[in-house]
Amino acid sequence: MARIWQVLTSGMSKYIIVRLLQIVLVLYLYMTLVFIILEAQPGDITDIYVGNPKITPEAREAIIKQLGLDKPLHERYLNYLKNFVTGHLGCSFKWGNIREVPDPVCREQRPTWDLIKERLPRTVLLFLTYTIISFYIGFFLGKLIAWRRGAIIEYFSTVVGVVLFTVFTPWFALLLVWIFAVNLGIVPIGGFINPDNWRVVERVGTVSRDMGVSLSNVVFNYILMWLGGLTLVWGVIYLVSQRFPYAWQRRVARWGSVCIGLLAMGAFFGGAWPGSADQAVIASETRFNFFLWQLEFPAGTIPLFPLALDFVQHMILPILTLTLISFAGTMLLMRNTMLETMREDYVMAAKAKGLPDQVVRDKHAARNALLPVVTSLIFAIAFSVDGGVFTETIFSWPGMGKLLLESAIEQDYPVAIGTLVFTGIFALVAHLIADILYAFLDPRIRYD
Amino acid sequence: MQRARVTFEPTQALWRVRLQLLWRGLKSTWAMFAESKIGLTGLGIIIFFILLWMLWPIYPWLMERLAWTPEELEAARNAPYGAISSIYQVYDPVTGYDPLIPLEENREGNILPPSRRHPLGTDQYGRDILAQLMASTGSEFTLGVLAALITVFIGTCIGAITAYYGGFVDTFFMRLADVFILFPLVSFLIVLGSMMELTLLKLALILGILFGFGQITIILKSQALAIKVKPYIEAAKVAGGGHFHVIFRHIIPNMLPLSFLYMMFNVTSAIFSEAALSFFGLLPGARTTWGIMIDSAHSGGYILGGRSFEYWWLWVPPGVAITLLCSAFYLVGRGLDEVVNPRLRKR
Amino acid sequence: MTTSTSYPVLQVEHLTMHYTTRKGVVKAVEDVSFSLNKGEALGLVGESGCGKTSVALTILRLLPENAQFLGGHVYFFRDGSDEAHVRRALGKPVKILLNGREHQGRLLEVNRAQLVLETQLNGRSQQIKLGRSDITHLGVDLTALSDEEMRPIRWKGISMIFQAAMNSLNPVYKVGDQLIEAIQTHMPLSLPEARERVAQLFQLVGLDRQLMDRYPHEYSGGMKQRAVIAMALACDPDIIIADEPTTALDVIVQDKILREMRQIQKKLNMSMIYISHDIAVIAEVADRVGVMYAGSLVEFGPSEPIFKSPIHPYTKALMSAFPSIKGEKVKLTALPGEPPDLIKPPSGCRFHPRCPYATEICEREVPQFIEHKPNQYAACWNPLT
Repeated sequence: MARIWQVLTSGMSKYIIVRLLQIVLVLYLYMTLVFIILEAQPGDITDIYVGNPKITPEAREAIIKQLGLDKPLHERYLNYLKNFVTGHLGCSFKWGNIREVPDPVCREQRPTWDLIKERLPRTVLLFLTYTIISFYIGFFLGKLIAWRRGAIIEYFSTVVGVVLFTVFTPWFALLLVWIFAVNLGIVPIGGFINPDNWRVVERVGTVSRDMGVSLSNVVFNYILMWLGGLTLVWGVIYLVSQRFPYAWQRRVARWGSVCIGLLAMGAFFGGAWPGSADQAVIASETRFNFFLWQLEFPAGTIPLFPLALDFVQHMILPILTLTLISFAGTMLLMRNTMLETMREDYVMAAKAKGLPDQVVRDKHAARNALLPVVTSLIFAIAFSVDGGVFTETIFSWPGMGKLLLESAIEQDYPVAIGTLVFTGIFALVAHLIADILYAFLDPRIRYD
Repeated sequence: MQRARVTFEPTQALWRVRLQLLWRGLKSTWAMFAESKIGLTGLGIIIFFILLWMLWPIYPWLMERLAWTPEELEAARNAPYGAISSIYQVYDPVTGYDPLIPLEENREGNILPPSRRHPLGTDQYGRDILAQLMASTGSEFTLGVLAALITVFIGTCIGAITAYYGGFVDTFFMRLADVFILFPLVSFLIVLGSMMELTLLKLALILGILFGFGQITIILKSQALAIKVKPYIEAAKVAGGGHFHVIFRHIIPNMLPLSFLYMMFNVTSAIFSEAALSFFGLLPGARTTWGIMIDSAHSGGYILGGRSFEYWWLWVPPGVAITLLCSAFYLVGRGLDEVVNPRLRKR
Repeated sequence: MTTSTSYPVLQVEHLTMHYTTRKGVVKAVEDVSFSLNKGEALGLVGESGCGKTSVALTILRLLPENAQFLGGHVYFFRDGSDEAHVRRALGKPVKILLNGREHQGRLLEVNRAQLVLETQLNGRSQQIKLGRSDITHLGVDLTALSDEEMRPIRWKGISMIFQAAMNSLNPVYKVGDQLIEAIQTHMPLSLPEARERVAQLFQLVGLDRQLMDRYPHEYSGGMKQRAVIAMALACDPDIIIADEPTTALDVIVQDKILREMRQIQKKLNMSMIYISHDIAVIAEVADRVGVMYAGSLVEFGPSEPIFKSPIHPYTKALMSAFPSIKGEKVKLTALPGEPPDLIKPPSGCRFHPRCPYATEICEREVPQFIEHKPNQYAACWNPLT
């Protein structure tokens, strides 16, 4: 514990604090920029927001007043910033209220923030899963290709890599849908859940309308929380195991933590997760049976595992597509930097030390080659968050990207702008996390 | 030896010396570039697309000579419905149709597989696919190169200025670059596209600016910093060159190779963004683009609706075209990388 | 050559190695032979690019991909009672020292009581049996080992101080951990034990033990150098090859570190090979000296006679190109010409284009490497007396 504390109070915490301050500044600049560009459009700004010719002048005036479009520019700007700080992002033009107690401001309309709250976790899960998978695959393949240099494998990997790297994403996604879903039929064509699997749920469980969320969201958020918890546990065990005296002990600890994670998964689907009964919000009389892994209601039971499997099934194809598209860039870059690092003296020294080949490759060459690759990943984060628009739209995965595109096309501006800003914030946070991870990877950064 | 002779001959005008040096530099660059198979492949693809673009105006004329028999022409001129007066009507990318296609109730009847008169078939409105493909090539090129030029112009200037002055200017532009790196560009363009009519020119301008202040500024700045400490910059300052002179005459010319390299990568991004926007139907106007072609095939249900590879000619050619053109510029960039970046050169 | 007190730990015989490059084949090492005794410091000296480092890399089998090993033997000796070493030698060319006599051949069989050796005698192969207990030292040909068999010899048997010490520390790991890694690979020590060993090693080379939890970029140049020396000592190797160990340092630090290395070597009775272009460094530390020119050894012998009365003109030229602090005043003369192109080396004696004593035979024939004075070997047609 003391060691961890020591690490945090050394150059690291200073680094994180500086980074946090910078990110706040960047966030402010970003929001201002969005505001300026949206405001700087030619013509009457109000036309954009209430551009429907069928609206009567009176209604038009009312909407303008409600949206605050009659106020001067600086007031609108301050209002815009204030709304994001307080979380009032306006009301959707299109989405109706689904709560039992409507929002006091939006009344019959659904608040934008509500929509984002619902969609963001889905996008985050998709993004995290494919980023980790594709990064690992790209890293692994790039490493191997560089280590075993050969004309054919090099040429082949370059060609495949470049094609995958530059392929037109929506088109490629359609191609994969056509192959795997339409022709082979092994995965669903798209969507988030298969309603057939959830009908039984709707029958037995009274979904709380008050929360404005459906059961699928509850179960989905569970999975996300569980994944986050698992990652955290694994990370802590990894850090602690670093100090174990023998290599085999470290190995046992790491694998052990994976087993613990799997057990935790069992426990989660069994409902042994602390506080899960409160979070279920399905109904107060819900009970988790952790031997049978199911939710129990007075009217019946819901097995949770098939429902989780339903999500997984729907995620396979989007993740496959995103992985295929994005692993190539990592692979090509990893290969290049690995070839450079392999010529470094410390790799030669590691070989001279009589370390096993695999240790030289992974611990010395690949570990150092990783650094520029991670840097480029940090640069590419915004791009991959952005790429969600394509995949989510084509696979009808109801996340932020799809919400953004739909609301943009249907001219639901409050939602469109709110989603846009939140996509930016998401990219910003991902960037910050990657930055901090990078500082853990490269000790030189921390002492600058 | 050669170089010294050129520099010290007073009879030659300065511009001629410069031109000769430039020519020599280009020649050696080309020699290095030509060694990279990757770069040559990319260049080959680009030339192929330029040829496609050049051929577009005479494509209908060629087809009239090569593919249409006199009888077919005659029949088309006297078709009971939609008779044409000129062959150009058949191959118009937006309003074209083939009067010889039998008029049917369902639109599938308009879709012709690749044939003599239509080498890549026709779409559900009876328009020639190859004609659409060729007609779009020019705009893709213009947009990509224009956006990349703007990007590189901004990136080079800002990079040189921040490296030269440092201090507040540096901090400001670097934080700004942070913002642009994190900018969800496609999302932004989608929202913007729904609010205003994005013409090709406007799109190129926006893409150019958004890319220009981002990552490229940081990369080019580090390059400029490396140049700034070179002795000849010091010499230029000692010789009495002003800030402006040093930046534009000495720093920027030496950044150009790297700028040019990044321009290639930016063309890829720009074309990709344009294709994505038009795929989502956010680029209005009476044009066809490759993105729109895929979109109309998709929204018509011809990609996912068919059980087999039926109607492949509707969506494979434009997708391949976008991928090829994007990868071509990327490949040229990689090839140039080996010229500019000595670490990647083969020993 | 072997006496009761001093026995060889390394014998290099007719080592030849070329690099294949785009411009052609670089003949980097040509027919190099020498031996290193227990507790001895051997100096290899020569101009940059004469193949000194390549010799070291060939011994440790760390050659890059474009290198071609063309022949020769590297016998690495260990005590005859070292079971792992004897097992490793099974089926490989070996040299065995037995009662002061040397047997050479292929080791066919190993059992508890004896070794069976296949030797060539007058063109006929014959098997001889040697009693285990009589064998004092056994040398195995490193060039015949597989990579996996070579691994335990690296660092435990032969360790190396690389040319650019600064770059041989991995920047992302703590210096102490990089030593521990080597120690734990070769010695059955737990982490606390290994840490204690690193602390002792740091003390030995004059570094504070707190420094083991620091990263390389927090070290100064001299500190890195010491850390690299400590790393080379980490597994108690039989031999340390120090390739330009102090070149990157300033002269005062250089001198101090060299003296300390010399002390450590004497204290631990270790065998060392110093590689340097700086003849002053070699003169300070080496017991015996090998002078290399254009990929081959031109002179070899005990350091004092070599520096006092060199046989080969190149040795003489090399010495007069460096100032001496201790010796008498001599006029410094630069060696005319440039080091030869190893892709197209000169015919005959490779030194002849630059040699003031060159005669017609030097251009035609390669001189034999023979003993001109007691223990002093050289390859020259016109030896200086």
